[in-house]
Amino acid sequence: MIDNLVFIRNAFSRYYSENIDRVEIPKSIENREFGFTLFKEGVMVRHKGFMKPEDLKDFIKKNIPSNVFYSAAYYSVPEAKMDEKGWLGSDLFFDIDADHIPTKCNKKHDVWTCRGCGLKGRGMTPDKCPTCGGESFDDKTWPCEICLETARSETIKLIDMLMNDFGFSPEEIKCSFSGHRGYHVQIESEGILDLDSDIRKEIVDYITGTGIDALLHGLEEVRDGKTRFLVGPSLDDFGWRGRIAKGTYEFLLAATENDLRNLGLKRKIIEKILSSRDEILESWKTSGPWNLVEGLGLDGWQKILQHSATFQSAKIDTVVTVDIHRLIRLPGTLHGKTGLLKVSFPVSRIEDFDPLKEALALKGEEVKVYVDEAPAFRLGDEIFGPFEKQSVTLPLPAAVFLLCKNAAKVID
Amino acid sequence: MDRAERRIVEALTSNPPEVSYNPYAYNEDIELLSFPVAIVLVAALANDYIKRRYALAEARRAYSLFKLENEEKIAEIAGKFGWKIRVINRQIGFIRFSFALHFIDYLKNAIAFHEKEWKLVNRMVHNGEVYLSKHDVARLLQEEVRRYIESKIDLSAEVKIPEEILKYVEKIRQICSEKIKETPLEPIPSGVVNDAFPPCIRELYEAIKSGRHVSHIGRFTLTAFLLNIGMDAESVINLFRSLADFNERITRYQIEHIAGERGSRTKYTSPKCDTLRTHGLCVGSDELCRRVKHPLTYYLRRTRALEKREKARVEE
Ligand code: SF4
Ligand SMILES: [Zn+2]
Ligand SMILES: [Zn+2]
Repeated sequence: MIDNLVFIRNAFSRYYSENIDRVEIPKSIENREFGFTLFKEGVMVRHKGFMKPEDLKDFIKKNIPSNVFYSAAYYSVPEAKMDEKGWLGSDLFFDIDADHIPTKCNKKHDVWTCRGCGLKGRGMTPDKCPTCGGESFDDKTWPCEICLETARSETIKLIDMLMNDFGFSPEEIKCSFSGHRGYHVQIESEGILDLDSDIRKEIVDYITGTGIDALLHGLEEVRDGKTRFLVGPSLDDFGWRGRIAKGTYEFLLAATENDLRNLGLKRKIIEKILSSRDEILESWKTSGPWNLVEGLGLDGWQKILQHSATFQSAKIDTVVTVDIHRLIRLPGTLHGKTGLLKVSFPVSRIEDFDPLKEALALKGEEVKVYVDEAPAFRLGDEIFGPFEKQSVTLPLPAAVFLLCKNAAKVID
Repeated sequence: MDRAERRIVEALTSNPPEVSYNPYAYNEDIELLSFPVAIVLVAALANDYIKRRYALAEARRAYSLFKLENEEKIAEIAGKFGWKIRVINRQIGFIRFSFALHFIDYLKNAIAFHEKEWKLVNRMVHNGEVYLSKHDVARLLQEEVRRYIESKIDLSAEVKIPEEILKYVEKIRQICSEKIKETPLEPIPSGVVNDAFPPCIRELYEAIKSGRHVSHIGRFTLTAFLLNIGMDAESVINLFRSLADFNERITRYQIEHIAGERGSRTKYTSPKCDTLRTHGLCVGSDELCRRVKHPLTYYLRRTRALEKREKARVEE
């Protein structure tokens, strides 16, 4: 029987020997720190530096790392200890990963196993084992279509803000599929390199809608002589102002009685909102719905707007963007948890990009494996599984995928 | 020279600090020349308090001047500081926007203001620009001036100061001697009062104690907080013992690093509410939360309130 790791390493080795030029060399390679995990040791080797693209490529071909990372930051001495590297700047980097986002599939495909008693369960890993109280688990997470779609739609919202609000051009925005369950978005433009963590945090708060206040986005009460009336944002407003309006439009388009009750609105008002739904939707063409629902005043609208804003925010991993020393996966290299490629693509393709097709990179003969347990999964145009305690012959990428997930063994 | 001295003395004795502007008392040349001289004087005083106060005062003076200028002039001044700014004079809804400023120039200055209307997310941002009123821009420019002056005054630089000027330095130092006393930090009550933990810390504390998974930043927050309120490193390490992935050596290293006992001299302060909110660690706000900006402030107020209650009970 061949050891799983040896088998995966051979497949990775073949990819790197035939496709080393697909490894994308970051801008100013001599100022970047690199990090690797190796199959054998399973630990991270950090603080590596390379003067020339060839040096990096040779290193990868020789060591066949299971994962390759580089710093979003630029340093004068990338190989020095952390506080002696001399930070010169950092790209603006965003990570969107299904792990951090609630998804409709509820991660039912993910399996966790208690290290203490061996109990297995599905969905998000619990804090504590219900049987033995153990707190340590092995988990298998799967990139399902729903997870990937959720990550994509968050990425689309992010890109919309980067282009329309922050004014970055499509050429300045680099997109990639992470090789597992998410997307990476990166900006290397001159102006953003020296931004400190505090400023990046403000950008994060903008993108996640943290601290937003509807009253600062056009919702207010105006007096005209004796009459008082409400005004609010409209659909074609710029930035968050328009986004709040769109969010409110969409929320009221589909809101159920329950949704509205959760906002703490009174029954009478909820009834009125629901019965005048058409009128409300129609009103956006003119001055908006602000004065249409009797009894719904500034406070009530504020609740609706604040709630609606949450759907418009993009759920990025906040810690990653604020961290100006972060290591990120290098595009064109393989992900050790899947055998899929981290692959870059132009912003314009975000809608139609098929990660489970375009990240396929391994070539080789079919492999016979014994699968312990795996949900159905798609790679390319083929759907595999679900499998349970059975032997199957699979194309190399599918086999490696299961081996990387530790869900199968090679049979020769 | 006299005017330079007056500029500094004004900065230190007025409240809020501001340097006056009286075109009749001093002619323009003196106004212009006295500024660099004042900067040398402040540098020679080598006192951080004077430096900050002087920079603020000059900046406030600049602010009052900016407000009197028209849009074009303001844009011109801002341009001198390297700002990418345009005059737009545009009415949107009920607000009149006079300027569009590049978001990076905006953030570099607005970051110093903590009111929610200065948060970028509460601004009209379009195509890389933030839409602003004249008043907003004057306020941001004031901050730019303050930062600029502070950066010009290099306290560590060994400036050769002529005898002549030293006289002035001594004089200013005397005038301001009472002003310079550092305000002492609020004393932190001794003993850790668990009942006074703010909601965010309580949540993290409970999670760690019951061995639940806590993110890296969550662990950092809790550790720094506990150390800040005077828990000793040993007790903090013990707290982490119940974690599944507890590793004595690494935990000890990390905690002592935060405490500042090993390696670097840094002693970290736990993150403020705003940061915890960004990372989703702020768990709802109670009454007191709404009035504080830092979990440590929450803790201090609560301990004090608890102490009072204790006393009241004893006296009864
Ligand atoms: S408001 Fe501040 S103190 Fe209160 S829970 Fe949030 S972070 Fe903690
Ligand atoms: Zn168990
Ligand atoms: Zn899923």
